[in-house]
Order: sequence, then C-alpha cells, then structure tokens
Amino acid sequence: MSGVMSDLARQQSEFQRAILTGDDAILAEIPDSPKEKRETLFGVYRYAYASRLVEAMRNDHKLLHIYLGDEMFNEVGHAYVAAYPSHHPNLRWFSSHLPDFLTSAGAYGKYPILADLAALEKALNDAFDAREAPVIGVADMAAFAPEAWAGLTFEPHPSAQRLDLSTNAAAVWLALKAEEDPPEPLSLAEPGRLLVWRQDVTPLFHQLNAEEAMMWDEAASGIPFGVLCSMLATYDDPDGAAARGAGYLHGWITAGLLTGVASGEQSGE
Amino acid sequence: MNVASHVPVSAASRSAHSASAAKPEFLGFGLGLRAQHYDEILNGSPAIDWFEVISENYMVPGGQPLRMLDRIRARYPVVMHGVSLSIASTAPPDFEYLGNLRDLARRVEPKWISDHLCWTGVHGKNLHDLLPFPYTREALDHVVGRVQLVQDFLGRALVLENVSTYVQFSNSEMTEWEFLSELSRRSGCWLLFDVNNVYVSAFNHGYDPLTFLEGIPSDRVVQFHMAGHSHMGTHIVDTHDHPVCEDVWELYAAALKRFGRVSTIIERDDHIPPLDEILVEVERTREIARQILPPLVSAAG
Repeated sequence: MSGVMSDLARQQSEFQRAILTGDDAILAEIPDSPKEKRETLFGVYRYAYASRLVEAMRNDHKLLHIYLGDEMFNEVGHAYVAAYPSHHPNLRWFSSHLPDFLTSAGAYGKYPILADLAALEKALNDAFDAREAPVIGVADMAAFAPEAWAGLTFEPHPSAQRLDLSTNAAAVWLALKAEEDPPEPLSLAEPGRLLVWRQDVTPLFHQLNAEEAMMWDEAASGIPFGVLCSMLATYDDPDGAAARGAGYLHGWITAGLLTGVASGEQSGE
Repeated sequence: MNVASHVPVSAASRSAHSASAAKPEFLGFGLGLRAQHYDEILNGSPAIDWFEVISENYMVPGGQPLRMLDRIRARYPVVMHGVSLSIASTAPPDFEYLGNLRDLARRVEPKWISDHLCWTGVHGKNLHDLLPFPYTREALDHVVGRVQLVQDFLGRALVLENVSTYVQFSNSEMTEWEFLSELSRRSGCWLLFDVNNVYVSAFNHGYDPLTFLEGIPSDRVVQFHMAGHSHMGTHIVDTHDHPVCEDVWELYAAALKRFGRVSTIIERDDHIPPLDEILVEVERTREIARQILPPLVSAAG
C-alpha cells in the first residue's frame, strides 16, 4: 500500500505495540501526569490487557481453574493470551482456542487431561448459547405409521455436539462440579464418547457407548432409521438391533436432543 | 494509480441527517443489567425504571441470555450499550460486528444504542479495552466520519460515552470536552456523560471535573453513568467494582444542575452485590434528582 500513514494510525499502532510487546516508543508522546510518571500510568493499560483476558478465561473455564489452582491457571492464561491474541470483537469467543492451545503447547500437551477438560467446558459453553430450535416429543413419533419408520430421518438440536475424549476428563469434571476431589487423570483405552447439548436453558452431557455414538453420528448425517438399525446389527445381537435403535431414539427424544423428524416419502414435497 | 485517492465522498462530508433527530426521551433511574440479577428482577418488582444491557453479552446465537433479555425487555425500557464499536480506531470498521449489532437492535428495539469514545485495537487485533487517543483535529475529522457512517448503517443516532483515561498525548490540540462537544455538534451523536469517568480522568490529568462538566453543551447529554473506582493514591483506576464515592455523588448533583433531567443508571461490572444493595444507589440517584430538579408537571394538569 502506498500513502502516508496518518499520525493517528501511527500512534494507535505504537500504542497497541506498547501493550502487546512492551515496546516503549509511544511513551515519548505521553507526558507525566501532575502526580505520576508516564510509565506507571501506561502500565494500567498493560496490566489491564492481560488480566481482563485471563479473567474472561476464568469465567469460561471455571472447573479448569479449580483443577489447576490460581497460580497455574494464571500461567496458562498468560501463555494463551500471548499465543492467541483476540481477533474477535466479542470476548465471548476469546477462549475458544484453549483446547487446541493445551493440546499443542509443549508444556501442557504432556497432560492431555487439561485439553480434554477445556474441550468439555467449551462444548458446554457453546451449548449454553447455541441457536434456539424446537424439540420433538414422543407424541410426534406417533404420527408415523409403523411401515414409515424405516425411512425416518432426524435433525439434531443445534446445541448438540459430539466430543471424543482420550482421558477421564468427564469423571474429573463431575467431581469438580460436585466440589469433590477429582480422580487421578487417566488415559482411556477407548475414547470417552460424549454427547453435549442444552435442555431448555441447561447445558448437559451424556456418555455414550460405542454403538449409540455410532448411531448418533450417522443419524446426524441423515442416515434413515432402517439403515441405522442394520448398522446397529453389526455391533451386537442382530435380533435386538431394532429394539436397541428404538431405545436410543426414545432417549434422545425425551432428552430434547432432536429438533426434527421426517419420513422419506414426504421429503420430496 | 491509487484508487483509494479517487474515492470521492467520505462519510464525513455527507450531511448529518441524524443531527436533527429528536432527543431521546427521559427514561428515569435505572441499572446496568447483569446476569447475577436476572432472577431477582423477574421474580420481584424492583423499583427500576429501565435497564442498560451490554450489547455484546447478547450478540450470541440463542439460549438463556437472549431469553432473559426478551423477558426483561417485555417489562422494562432497554438501552443497548456496547464495548466493541471502536469508533476512534483507524482500522476499517468491523461490518460483521455492526451487522450483528443492528440485528440485535431489531430484536430489542432499544431506546438508543451507545458505546464509548475510544478505540479497542488495530491490525485485526482486539485488546478489549477502552483505549485513549490524542484530541487532534485529525482525530476529530476521523471520528466524525466514523460516527456518521455508523449512524447511517444503523439508521439511528449514536450515543457516545467519555471513558476514563490514564494517559494524555503531547500532540493533543484540544481538551476532551472540546472534542466531545465538537463531535456531537458535527456528527449529531448524543452524549453519555459518565460522571465517574469524568472524576477519574480529571484526577489523573490534574484538572477540575467541573471545568469538564461546564465545557459540555447542556442540550447534548441524554444519559448519565454512575459507578465506583479504585484509588491508587497518585492515580485512579476505573474498575467499576465499588459503590459510588461521595465525590462522584457531588459531581452528579452538579451534572443535574447543568444538564437537567437525564436518564441515569448505576453501572457495576465486577464484585456485583445482591440487587437490594445496588437498589440503594439507584434510589439515591432518584432522590438527589428530586431534590435538585423541579417536579415533573403531570400530563393531566
């Protein structure tokens, strides 16, 4: 780009750099106050910057904060602020890269429980203010004739998310939430398969077995009920597959996890 | 060829249609809405005339925040107060943010939309702080243009608040109150006079808060903020986490004498006490106004 940068643009650039990097060039353009030196006064902005962002992280990750304690959370928070400066006007999304940071940052990646705990809290936060949508009830299913069931497809509630965790972060979360001592962190032989969603206004999570997790994932991608039951038949007793499928479906409906159900015949109308 | 140099019309050169917009109505004595108080507000009938909500807290897809806001809005007048407009930034405006703000305003139908006379970041970064800038003619032209653009985008006049500042710039060419007055006159925006912020900045920069107060045109102020702060001895930090101090109550009385009947809220951002405790301060804003201002003439009379 050509052109002369305006004084205002240059000063804002230097002011921001002074906060983010500690560069003092801007102080040459700031006088001392009658009672205090410019370095101290400018320090109010430097201190407020990181402390406000770390506080936002504490609000979003209350249980990770309890798990780590003040000092360690503060250290994680400041490292995150340095690694992921905010690019969004809304603080609500500032912490959203924390699970990625905890996975990839060398010092923390050795403790996968931290990234998993952060991921679970993030999923619950996202469910909390996810888009509104109606939920279907058991009575809505009565509208379909038995022969139509094989063709039924389902639409998950917008708050619903699947999360696979490699550690016992769910058990740690539950203990911390109940203000109990958390269990020792463990790596799981099989991933912990969670379904996170909002029921009315309350974010919840539910642990799924491998079969139900598979059925949810496939249902969410539009596979009809009859095919889902055939898929279930490959996981366990084939004769009980339809009953198991109906049981999982009933659970999802009563939990408020589904926003829509449609029959194959009607979908073209 | 530099295409940018050939763009003919800046927003600043257009007429400020909003300058003639009607002055927002007097709403009474209210409170900044905080999630901690949702239940107490909706389950009781606290003596609060109106609420100011932080716009960004409700710029989310759905869930409890928006449901609560809808319920409060059904019972009380609401004003939207943002923290991320960054009106003085030299970075391009964030039009996605402005679009979300406009969408929220369509849902809430606020009495007005306010934000701060400050910037929050450049080069794509957001520092989530209300940052100061020099009061120069260059900055004034820039901010006037931005205010006019945002007012055109939103289809309504903005209300802008003076922020607490800790530093000044050697190249400032005018005082903060001169800047605010000119900005309001030229862009048509209204002013939110934060009484605490005037007190804080006056202490930090060593001037008399009454000089600031008297430098603001008496007909441009549509809202007062009242809040607390943290005194560090040589300077004051605007923490909004304490009750309003006696000096700020005195300045509020002086502001009432100058600006008359102005919609007022108590604003608390941290260490938020139970509603009853804050209601004592809301009552005090009402009582001081009752002592200073002539009674409202009844419409029936």
